[in-house]
Amino acid sequence: MGERKVLDIPLNRAEGDLEIRVEVEGGVVTDAWSAGTMYRGFENLLVGRGALDGLVVTPRICGICTTTHLTAAVLALDDAACVRVPDDAVRLRNVALATEHVQSDVRQAVLMYMADFAGAAHAGHSLHDEAVRRYAPLKGGVATDTIRETKRVLEIVAIIGGQWPHSSFMVPGGVTHRPEATEILRCRHILHRYREWYERRVLGCSIGRWREIRTAGDLDAWVEENGAQRNGEIGFFMRFCREACLDSIGRGCGRFLSFGGLDLPAATRTKGRRGKLVAAGLAHGGKVHAFDQAKIAEHIASSWFEGYEGGRHPFEGLTRPYASGDEAGRYSWAKAPRYDGHPAETGPLAELLVARDPLFTDLVTERGPSAMVRQLARMARPAILFDAMDQWLDELMRSEGDGFHTSPGAIRDGRGMGLTQAARGALGHWVTIAGGRIQRYQIITPTAWNASPRDSAGVRGPWEEALIGTPVRDPANPVEIGHVIRSFDPCLVCCVHSVKGGRSLGRAVLQV
Amino acid sequence: MRTRIICIGNALIPEDDAGPRVFERLRRARLPATVELVDGGLAGLRLLPLFEDGRRIVLVDAVSGLAEAGTVTVFDCASVVGGSAGANYGHAGGLAYLLGVLPAVIDGPIPQILLVGLETPAGGEAIEAAADLCLNLDEREPHHVVQPFPH
Repeated sequence: MGERKVLDIPLNRAEGDLEIRVEVEGGVVTDAWSAGTMYRGFENLLVGRGALDGLVVTPRICGICTTTHLTAAVLALDDAACVRVPDDAVRLRNVALATEHVQSDVRQAVLMYMADFAGAAHAGHSLHDEAVRRYAPLKGGVATDTIRETKRVLEIVAIIGGQWPHSSFMVPGGVTHRPEATEILRCRHILHRYREWYERRVLGCSIGRWREIRTAGDLDAWVEENGAQRNGEIGFFMRFCREACLDSIGRGCGRFLSFGGLDLPAATRTKGRRGKLVAAGLAHGGKVHAFDQAKIAEHIASSWFEGYEGGRHPFEGLTRPYASGDEAGRYSWAKAPRYDGHPAETGPLAELLVARDPLFTDLVTERGPSAMVRQLARMARPAILFDAMDQWLDELMRSEGDGFHTSPGAIRDGRGMGLTQAARGALGHWVTIAGGRIQRYQIITPTAWNASPRDSAGVRGPWEEALIGTPVRDPANPVEIGHVIRSFDPCLVCCVHSVKGGRSLGRAVLQV
Repeated sequence: MRTRIICIGNALIPEDDAGPRVFERLRRARLPATVELVDGGLAGLRLLPLFEDGRRIVLVDAVSGLAEAGTVTVFDCASVVGGSAGANYGHAGGLAYLLGVLPAVIDGPIPQILLVGLETPAGGEAIEAAADLCLNLDEREPHHVVQPFPH
C-alpha cells in the first residue's frame, strides 16, 4: 500500500515556487513576506542568442500566458525594427491574445478561486452545499462545464496560430500566415458559442444588460433582479463573498497599473483609448495618471540578485543570481518592480480602473478595493473583450487584404520594448540587440508586480500589503490568506498548509 | 491500433526527466505510421483534446518507489481515471487532475490509456527499454500490465 502512495508524486506536479509567510497576532495578519523560491533565469538564457529567438523561447516562460509572452516579444522586435504591422495582422494577434484572456479568466474563477468555497473551511456557510455542487474539484457541475467550454474556445488560438500553447505565429511585421475565410468563420462560430455560454452561465444575463450596471448600488440590485442573475456564477460569487466577508479583506497598496494592450488596427470600428483597446495608466487616489514606461524600475534589495543599489529601468537592468540565504534580508528570487518609486498592483481591476469603468470605479471609491472586487473584475473582463473580438473577426472576414506581414528585413541593432496586458496584468519585455544577437533581455511579469518583495526603501509589495489586517480564524487552515492571494491570480499552483512550532507559534506559513 | 505516445516530465529536473529523454529517443527513431509522438512536458488539462480522437494513449513518465531504479513497468491507468488523485487544480492542471476529471469532460469515449513508468533514477538502458516498449506494447503479455492505483 505504501508503494501506491508514492506513485502520486510524479503524476501530481505542484509548482511550489512561491511561499507566503505571515505573522499573526490576535487572529489578524500583522506582517507578510512574499518569497519566490525558484530562479527563473530566462533573461540570461536569451543573452547571445539570435535576435528573433525570444519569439520561440519566451512563450515557454508560462504554459498559460504563452500568447501574451509571444505578444510582448514580437512588440519589442516591432519596436526595434520600426516596422508597421498590417491591420489584419494586428487583428489576428489581438483575437488570439484575447482568447487566452477569456478562457483564463473563467478557468481561474471557477477552478482556482471558487473551488475554495467548496472546502471544509466554509462548511458553516449557508451556501456551502451549493458551492460543493458547483465547484467541488473533479465533480462540481460548473467546474466540469468550465473545462469543456474553455477547451473549445482555445481552438481559436490553434486556428490562428497553428497550436496552443507555445505558438510562435507572431513575427516582426505581422504574422506567419492569414487563415482562410472558412477558418475565420470557424473562429466566429467558436467565439459565439463561448459567449453564449458565458452570458448564460457566468452572467445570467446579456452582456448588454451587464454593461448597464454603473454603480455599486446597481450591482446590488442586479444580483437580486431575477433568478438567472442571482444564480449565475457572478451572482452566486457576490452572495457567497458577502457572507464570508471577502469584501472587507485584501485592500492592497491602492495603486493600480496597466501597461495597456490590444493595439487597435488603423481602420476599425472598435473604440479604444490612445490606440489601444485596454487603456494604459496608473489609477491612484481616485485619479488616473498617464502611463510613462520610463518610471518603471526594478529593485533587488530583498532579492537574491546582485549588481546594483536602488532601482534600475529594465533597459539597464541586471539579472545576476546571488544565492545568499537570508543575508541582508534577501528572501525572494523575484525582483521588486516599482512604478514612479512605488509598488503597484496589476490585473483586470487595474485595467478597469484605468479605463474609468463606472461600476468598478464606484465600487472602489465607495467600498474600497478588496479580494471580492479584484476577483469580480476578473470574472467580468470577458464581457468587455467579446465585442472587440467579434468585431475584429468580422473585419477579417470583410477585409480585402492589406497583407498579413511587412518584412522588416534583418533586425537591426538597437533596442525595443514590448508592453502589453496579460491575463494577470502588465507584462513587459525589453530587448537590446547588438551584432544581430540579443545583448540584454529583461522581462517583468504581472506576478512580479503583485508578488514583489520589499524594495530598497523596505516598502512591501502589493499582496504583502494586501494581507495586512486579514483575519485568520484557523491557523491550521488560513483560507482567508488564500482568498486574498488568489484574488491576484498568482501564476502558480497553489497548495495551502500551515506549520507552527517553537518561536513560530502563531505564525502561519502559506505555501502557494 | 492507432497510438499516441505522450511523454511527460521536466527536462530540467533530473528526477523528472525520464519522459523527455524517451521523447528525444523516439523523435530520432523511425515511427510506424500509426504512431504519433507528443512532447507533453508539464501539460495537464491542455492535453485533453489529445484524448478525444479515439487513439490509444501511451503516457511515458517517471515513477518512484515501486521497484528498483531503472525498472520500466507498464501501468493500466483505468483505475485512476475518474479518481480523486490530483484534485488540486493549478493554472495548467496536472496530469492527475486531467485523468481524474476525464469522464466528466471528455467528448466521446474514454480511450485505452497505459502508462510506461520509469523508476527513477533511470539510466540510458532504461530509456532505451522504455522507448522500445512504447513501440511494441501490442506484443507484450497481459501480465506486464499492472494496476498501481487504488480504486
